[in-house]
Amino acid sequence: MEVIRNLPDQELVENLQTGKRMDETIKAIYRNHFESLGWYIMNNSGTRQDAEDVFQEVVVTFIDLVQKNKFRGESTVKTFLYSLNRHAWLNELKKRGRALAREEKYEKGKEQAEPDAGHLIADREGRSEIMKLVGSLGETCKKILLLFYYENLSMKEILKSMHYENEQVVRNKKYKCLKQLEQMLNEKPHLKSTLKSLLNG
Amino acid sequence: MDNSTSNMSEKLLQYLDGGLAGVEKENIEQQLATDPSLQAELESLKETREALKLYGLKQKVSGIHQQMMTELQTPVKKTGLKRRIIRYSMAAAASIILIAGGIFLYSFLSVSPGKVFSSNYRSYELSTMRDGDTQQVSSVEKAYREKDYTKAIEAYTPNPSTTIKDNFLAAMSYIELGNSKDAIELFKKVLEQDELQKSNFLKDESEYYLALSYIRNKEPKTALELLRKIKDNPNHLYHEKITSKLIRQVKMLKWR
Repeated sequence: MEVIRNLPDQELVENLQTGKRMDETIKAIYRNHFESLGWYIMNNSGTRQDAEDVFQEVVVTFIDLVQKNKFRGESTVKTFLYSLNRHAWLNELKKRGRALAREEKYEKGKEQAEPDAGHLIADREGRSEIMKLVGSLGETCKKILLLFYYENLSMKEILKSMHYENEQVVRNKKYKCLKQLEQMLNEKPHLKSTLKSLLNG
Repeated sequence: MDNSTSNMSEKLLQYLDGGLAGVEKENIEQQLATDPSLQAELESLKETREALKLYGLKQKVSGIHQQMMTELQTPVKKTGLKRRIIRYSMAAAASIILIAGGIFLYSFLSVSPGKVFSSNYRSYELSTMRDGDTQQVSSVEKAYREKDYTKAIEAYTPNPSTTIKDNFLAAMSYIELGNSKDAIELFKKVLEQDELQKSNFLKDESEYYLALSYIRNKEPKTALELLRKIKDNPNHLYHEKITSKLIRQVKMLKWR
């Protein structure tokens, strides 16, 4: 497989938006940015595991924002990722109750110079709870829903891979599954704001 | 959920999925415009869909994440390990340099002409005499044998006929009395006499004790030349006495 290293920002964003060469593009983000972003965390009382977890979250958030056209290239990808990473980590430190006063003060002074990505990556906890809920869906439900809503496959294509009698059966199954998930989410009212911010940014 | 709401819900989902067109689409849009509860339901469906999209994305990144962490960890770990090894080696080297430097500095500061002299000096012992030899013994030698060095110097009268032995013993007596300067002069005299008489009598002894006297008299440079000469001559009587440590110490004295 081709290894992309120096992917220009514009091309990277395009790939993420269109879903073209997705894997290689994500890998390029890791190769180009993990070390410096991870370094930041490890130098601010984080472990390597923290650095890895936060980076994964940053990548997911970044791609999500790009796909929603919320990354407009006003800063470089690098600066943007850095900003997401920093906010995610400072929030995590605050949550852990050992944010360094000095670090916070320093960061406050820098706030204006960088895009305010704070709200974009806030609430890691809520997101992770939502991810767990989705993960707890039955395998068949998950498969149908992901094929349709994430992979953007048509009912016809899904029918081929799932061995159902006809499209209508798949459609009914999909409806029931989505409703089930909707209900699971609605049972946790505290996740409402996280869901809203997911939807509206 | 009765049939009509269920139907409405399904229609709403179809609408969200982009599966409605024409009149059906228009109808639902009209209803949405006037029915807040339907709007809320659409919103809720959108949120659910969003959760799924994020889940899918997260799954995708997660798979690549594992792969990349293995890929990035190997070189990172390697360089990390390499760096760590370098760092530890540097630290170790620094400690060794520090310790060695400390030892060197300590020996440098603690080394003194007096110490080097006394740690190498052994009194010169004359061979035991048999009873019949007594009358041949000079007064200098007699006093030296009695370890009365002041008396030996008193008995010593320097003149051209003074024997090599007396000159040497007088020099040794000066050493014993702590008078390096006069000891040096007399050892030089002994060596001159040997030179003149083409003799080696007490030559090696004189050279060795002369070197020690130079050390004690704070003339390490001259001492060093002599010590090297002795060390380079394997047949010299005191060849074995000249250790590398002694040479090193005298070198240090040179720099003091």
